[in-house]
This record gives sequence, C-alpha cells and structure tokens, in this order.
Amino acid sequence: MSMSDATTAGTDADPLGPGSMLYRLTRQTRWGLVATRAIVLEAAHPQIGAALITNSTFVAHPWRRLRNTVLSAQRMVDPDIRVRQREAARLNRLHARITGTDAEGRPFNAADSEARAWVVATLFESAVTMCRLSGESLDGPAMDRLYAEFQSFLALMDPYGGKLPPTLREFWRYYASVVEERLENTEAVHVILDRLFAQVPAPPLLRDQPAVWAAGRALAGPAATAIVVASLPESLRARLGLAELPGTRTLMHAAYLSTRLATRLLPEAWTRLDTVMTMLDPAYAPQRNGDAPAGPPVLEGLRRGVSKAGALLRLLTPDPETATAGDSTVRSASRFFSEVLDQTGDGHLDWPDLAAMAREIATRLDLDTHDEDRLFAAFADWWRELQKELDTDGDGRITGHEYAAATAAMAGSALIRIAEVLFDVTDTDDDQVIDAAEHRALFRTAFDHDPGGDAGERLTRGEFVRRFLGFMAGRRHSGVYDQMFAQS
Amino acid sequence: MDGNGRWAAQRALPRTEGHRAAEAAVIDVIEAAHTAGVEWLSLYAFSTENWRRPAAEVDVLLRLVRRAIRKHALSLHTRGIRCRFLGVTDPRIPPALARDIADLMALTRDNRRMTLTVAFDHGGRRDIVEAARSLIRDGVPAEQVTEESFARRLPHPDMPEVDLVIRTSGEQRISNFMLWQVAYAEWVFPRVLWPDFRAGHFWECLEVYRRRDRRFGAVQAPAPTGKGCR
Repeated sequence: MSMSDATTAGTDADPLGPGSMLYRLTRQTRWGLVATRAIVLEAAHPQIGAALITNSTFVAHPWRRLRNTVLSAQRMVDPDIRVRQREAARLNRLHARITGTDAEGRPFNAADSEARAWVVATLFESAVTMCRLSGESLDGPAMDRLYAEFQSFLALMDPYGGKLPPTLREFWRYYASVVEERLENTEAVHVILDRLFAQVPAPPLLRDQPAVWAAGRALAGPAATAIVVASLPESLRARLGLAELPGTRTLMHAAYLSTRLATRLLPEAWTRLDTVMTMLDPAYAPQRNGDAPAGPPVLEGLRRGVSKAGALLRLLTPDPETATAGDSTVRSASRFFSEVLDQTGDGHLDWPDLAAMAREIATRLDLDTHDEDRLFAAFADWWRELQKELDTDGDGRITGHEYAAATAAMAGSALIRIAEVLFDVTDTDDDQVIDAAEHRALFRTAFDHDPGGDAGERLTRGEFVRRFLGFMAGRRHSGVYDQMFAQS
Repeated sequence: MDGNGRWAAQRALPRTEGHRAAEAAVIDVIEAAHTAGVEWLSLYAFSTENWRRPAAEVDVLLRLVRRAIRKHALSLHTRGIRCRFLGVTDPRIPPALARDIADLMALTRDNRRMTLTVAFDHGGRRDIVEAARSLIRDGVPAEQVTEESFARRLPHPDMPEVDLVIRTSGEQRISNFMLWQVAYAEWVFPRVLWPDFRAGHFWECLEVYRRRDRRFGAVQAPAPTGKGCR
C-alpha cells in the first residue's frame, strides 16, 4: 500500500496502532532508506553526534544494531499500548545511561529533550522526503496525519520533555532553523558516510562468503553513500563539504523510485521489513503475537527458497577457514579483544564498550528496571576492576596490548557478579538450577535461536558462572555469548 | 558399511585409507538405489560407539564426511534426493561439519524422489531412550502408550519400517542400528568389504531380498519400501 492511500484507511483514534501510517511504514523495507538518511541528519546534531561517536556500536556491529532498532520501532507502534509504554520506558533508561563530554568539552546526554525531538523530526522529514523522491508526494491531510503520529511517538518517548511544534507550518520553520543553525560538520557524520557503508561487515547470511560480500559492497557502498548524500538538504551538504557528484541525483531518484515500484508491484510480503531481515539474518525472529503463523504461504515459500539458496552457496564455495581457525575453540587474546570486548570498534576498551555489552544483554533479555540496574552496576564494577588492574599507562582506557599482557587478571569478582545477574534472570523459578525449560527460554528470548534437542542439561549456579568466565576470561568460544557479543 | 579397516590392512595401508576408499562405494550405492527406484535408503556411517576409536582416525572420518557432503551436495540435490541425518547430537562434531549437515538438509528438504538417511553419531538404543523420555516429560499415561504412539516419538517418524539391511564384510551383528525400525527387516550379509561394494553387489542383494518370503507372521508379503545399508 502506498503512503497516501493510508489517509483513506479511516481515522483511527489510536495514532500509533495498526491503523496508523507509521505502523505500516515501519513494516516496509523502505523504512531502511528513511532510517539511514535520518541517522545522518541526527549525527550532524552536535549532541547526538557526540553520543553516537563515543557510545554507539553501529559501525562495529551494524546488523545487530539494525535488528535492535527494527524490533524497537515495531514495539513502539505495537497494537498493545502496554508493549509501547514498556518499550518507551526501556529506551528512556537506555538513553539516560549515555552521557559524557565531546571532544570540545561540551556535555552531551542522550536523554536530552531537544536532541530527542530532533531525532523524531528527522524521521518524519525523511519519511516525507522518501515519499516525495519516490514520486508519490503526500497530500496535505496525509502529511498532517503522519505528523500527528510522529508527535504522538515523541510524546510516548518523552511525555514531560520537548515537543515538536504544534503545526506543520511551524515544523518546517523549526526544521529549517535547526539545519541552518544547529547542525555541524561532526565526526559522526563522516564515520557514517565514509566508514559505515565502505566497511559494513557481511550480514549473517553472507558471513561465510567474505569475497562475495566484499565484491558487492565495493559497488553498493559508494552508491549507498551517494544516494544518502544526494538526498540531504543542500545547505547541509555544503557545510559537510560533500560535493555533489555528477549523476548522483539520477541514481538517488532511481533508487527511491525503485523502492516505490517494488512496494507497489511485488507481493506485499516480499517488501516487508521482516522478510528482508529474515533473509539477511536467519536468526532474526520477527515479533509475533503468541503462536501466530510465520506468515502467508508466499512468504514461507520465499523464506525456504532463500534458505536453500544460502545453503547451496555455502556448500559450493570453498571456505578457507574450515580446518584452521574456524574449528578451534580457543582464540587469541587479540581476536577476543577486537571481536568481543571492543564493541565500539575504536581500537581500545573503555566504559562505552562495556556499557554496550550491558545494553545488549538488557535488550535481548528484556530486563526490568531492577535487574537492569544490577547488571549495569556489575558492569561498572568490572570496568573499575579492569582499569585498576590493566590500565598500566593510566590514560583511562585499555589498549589491546595492555589487555593481552594481563589477561590472567580477568576472572575478578566483578565478572562473577555479572554472571550471577545473568543466572538470576534466567532462573525464573528461583530453584538455583537452570533447567531445560529455562535454558531454552534463555536461548529463545536472548538469542532468537533454538538450542535443539540437546538442551536437557541442568546448570547449577557454579557451572553457569564457570562457563561465563570461561568465555570472558579463558576466551573459549561459546555459541551463546559469541552470538550476543561477537557477531555483527 | 563395514570392512574399511580390513580393506586397508589387506593393502598394507593405514586404516584411514579404507575410509577414503569408501566414498566411491557410497556414491555407487546411492546411484544404484536411485536407479532401482528405492524410495528410502539409509547408510550407517558412524555409531555412538565409534567415538571410542583413536582420535586421529575419528578426525579423518569427520573431515571425509565433510568433504563428501560439500562435493556431492549439488548432484544429490539435482537427483531429487532428500538428505537427512540421524543422530548428530554429540558436541564433538565440529561446528563447520554441523553447519554443512544443516545446509545439506535445508537444501534438499523438499525433494521427494528418494530419502537418504545418513545415520551419523547414531545409536538405536539412544533413540528409544529419548522417545521414552519425551513420553515421560509430556506426562503421557502408561495405558496410552502404544507401538504407534511410541514410534511417533522416534526421530524421523515418517520413515517406514526397514525392509532390508545389507551388512557388508561378512559381519553378522545388529550393532545398535535403528533397533526399533529393523524389527521385521530381512538381513543380507555379503562377504565383500565395503570399499569394494558396487552397484552390482547392491543388485544381487536386492535379488536375494526379492526371493525371500516375507510374511510378518501373516500370509501375504507387502511391497518393499525401505532399505538399510550398514
């Protein structure tokens, strides 16, 4: 369904539920175009740019981040209002933990109301731009309605904080003034444009085909950058020092137009975001209500076809890693450092890396406030312990070298506390043993993955802690924790 | 698939060479069964007891299986053969092999011309114990447990009973192979060692089976459906 058709779909009293334009939009694959363009506009905001550059894992783990974002957006427009409120509260807690100062010493806070309003503003403006560029401009009432939905979205996130201007006319003035006066040529913008697309690691589907992925990325990466750059406001482009290359506008129009045609002409199930996510990442589990079927037969057929094609591709292409590194259970300290510990991918270990791990656990396990606080406190203790023992040059961060030189000190008491929090949230019936059902639940909710038939083992607290420490300190491979922290 | 070790010993080769030579026999038998219209073919590649063999031999075996899967996946798929594995639960199975097995099953799962079941890390008793456990876990009352309901708890419950088991190299034991499914199977024990076993031998075994009078304790023999090779 096109966006403008949505205006005739009735005026639902619920601005974010299944009847809303936003609900439909967040389920279409072209929402990816909207989100990518919006994140560049957000990154140019000094507060958001600083938070992104120091705390975010999206360059090192873009697919994980994308999955979390997609799930979160879908929860925010869930038919059940309690799901939305719970997700908003979770996002607020998550953002409240992201604070600091940027390179010029200016403080930033991810829960800042002005910054949040700007995030929602960029998403709205990018949605409108997407419709315009793909040749189906929203008419007045449709744009009013979409704007009202985004206002409700912000109100849900930030009920007591900043608001978007009351009318659309005022919104465009606000938008233009932020672009002119607030946005800067931040480091985050260039990281996104220069590094994200050029270096994005393979999605899980193609992880075993590095050559195929690298070849595709060499073509698609610059094209994606060009498309995003060409769609930015002209004055911002100038300020960012991004000259427009010949032909990029045509490329951008072609890209937007083809997303519209695809959305129009292909079966609805094919262009659904869930479908694309499932193709890219077989572990991605779309949010479903209870035991609802996975999707219409055409979607199931497509999914099977894709999984077969992926299987054939993996079986037919030689994989150089097989006999050597892939089979080994122990990895080098430096690999562990870059694959697991350095979550932000900046080459050293500091608090944002550990915070990103805590955030990932809290998100996957959907922890409540109490458990989340315990988890973050345990991670903070671990950080203090690491700093004390490993930061030999006292610069407040740990290099791969410092880490490799002193890995024996890893199994400290703080790490054990982290394992204990994990154990407590998994041991739902408090019998001090993780039984088969709890084990399965941990895998399913945290890792979108069925452990298979052999999950019958019972883990005592000691054994659970021992395994976690084995992963974190002994650097043993673990299917579970690797999936959570190491994969991109 | 017995006799790899003896085959190698007769030629003064290491045992692993016998396993290497077995690949040709496997492919030949699959092709012969496929041509003969056999709909269910099972191969006993590796038992739960085989883990006790020397680590180096197990290692070579696992590598050979992986290589064979990757080499023949496409030709199996184009022949309309559905490949399934029976067992495959031991954590010692390398992740790369487990992934290839999963990929081969995913690739061929909609094929219907013939179902090839590879018993790998298989034990007939273990399957039965697992089925019993699942009944108990689900709290099924004792009087509701029948042969049919029990069989549905076994892995691949759609697999018919085994009609014919071919055990090569003259060995005459069951060795924990599909204990439940072979209840009424006919057994043939050709003396040929597995690496020398070829389509011709397979045809001979089928001929022996055809001449047998299968009565299942009754009067009339039903049409054959499944074969097992071990």
